Amino acid sequence: MTANADAAAAGVEALDCLTPFGDAAATAAALLAGRRALAPHPVLGPDGGDPVPLALIGGAMDEPVTPRWLAPARELARRIPAGDWGSAREPVVVTSSNFGVGAMHAFTRDRDARHLAHGTPFAAAARLGRELGWGEHVHVLSHACVTAHLGLALAGRLLHRGFANRVLVFSFDFVSPFVAAGFHSLKILNAAMPAPFAARDSGSIGLGDGAAFAVLAAAPAPLRLEAAALHNEMHHFTSNRPDGAGFTACAVAMAAAARGRRVWIKGHGTGTLEAGRLEAEAWRQAFPDAPLVSWKGSLGHTLGSCGLVELAVAAAALRAGRIPGTVGGEAPSFTANVALGPLAAAGFDAAVLSANAFGGAHASFILAHD
Amino acid sequence: MPDPLVARLKTMIVETLKLPDVRAEDIPEDEPLFGNTRLGLDSLDALELVLRLEKEFGIKIGNSEESRRALASVSTLAAFIRARQPAAS
Repeated sequence: MTANADAAAAGVEALDCLTPFGDAAATAAALLAGRRALAPHPVLGPDGGDPVPLALIGGAMDEPVTPRWLAPARELARRIPAGDWGSAREPVVVTSSNFGVGAMHAFTRDRDARHLAHGTPFAAAARLGRELGWGEHVHVLSHACVTAHLGLALAGRLLHRGFANRVLVFSFDFVSPFVAAGFHSLKILNAAMPAPFAARDSGSIGLGDGAAFAVLAAAPAPLRLEAAALHNEMHHFTSNRPDGAGFTACAVAMAAAARGRRVWIKGHGTGTLEAGRLEAEAWRQAFPDAPLVSWKGSLGHTLGSCGLVELAVAAAALRAGRIPGTVGGEAPSFTANVALGPLAAAGFDAAVLSANAFGGAHASFILAHD
Repeated sequence: MPDPLVARLKTMIVETLKLPDVRAEDIPEDEPLFGNTRLGLDSLDALELVLRLEKEFGIKIGNSEESRRALASVSTLAAFIRARQPAAS
């Protein structure tokens, strides 16, 4: 099965992110230097627990009454170009897979009603909108770890159907003890550092804080998003079809859309074994000559925001002329297409960026540049 | 004589996962716990079982691959626990 890809392109007018390393340029530089933002932290934050790899903005994880994501979101928002954001012609798409779920848990723990002010996706987006002065045209999306990809795809469709002049996509995911404990219960967040696409005996992921924004417009731009493809396996809550058909669906769609281009691939690559093996193999088959990288071995998995955070890092890397390799990866990899070291951007004219999620969701698009 | 640890694990599975139509003694020891249409267990059931096992036996399961091996069947689960808690019964 092949996913359908949107034919229309969206121009990227502005783009940036915030990670424990700083903005997109600082993050790309840190990845190029092979640095890891992940470090061992207690899985339950101040309540202790097993040490697990987390990449935290501010260095500590809890769920205070003032949400931990608010100050970094404000800091990031200062870099958004001026606009009538939240108006009918300049709507906002807010994406996150976490939103305030940790706040709901904190409410059950502390019985402090102030947690509820940002304890649901709509409440969290409304609070952000009030802080940043957005109007009422704010779309809220949450669909596990492909959420930011869906937000970008929605923005592209709003632009190309003439519903908007520009769209601001804003995404944020900050790790909470509740979310970390969930992944720890599944044993995929454990004591080991992630090594994306490495053929090891056991897998592991890290979780990371991240926020990012993109301003998209229909007009052509030096940096463009093309051929957004979405696919859902409808197979299982937490595992993929064992034949890899879900990964293949988007990979084949990307190969058709990227024909004739020299591409590199920024994969999902969290560090789990089965999904990593299926993903690496799908890209190898669809793009036999394209190097595959993942950055989650350094930044951790920023969950629903990973698509936008890693897009901003990719754009910064292109500006710097060097593309970070798979930080934290190790030989042998599942497939020979996995690039452990940096790549020279001059050898390529487009990138494929991809993510996948619980529920069997897959999403990919092409980042084209002049 | 029945293995008391095996019997305890079977009861724990039925209670933890609230399997209404399954009697503990009907769970086979050497058949797969997951992918078994008779039990119909999925990954969320595995998560619940792991949490209960860690709490009840004071053991740690390190990663998802170890969890998968331990939960392959009631027999493998009993062996896994005994390797970490020799006195378990």
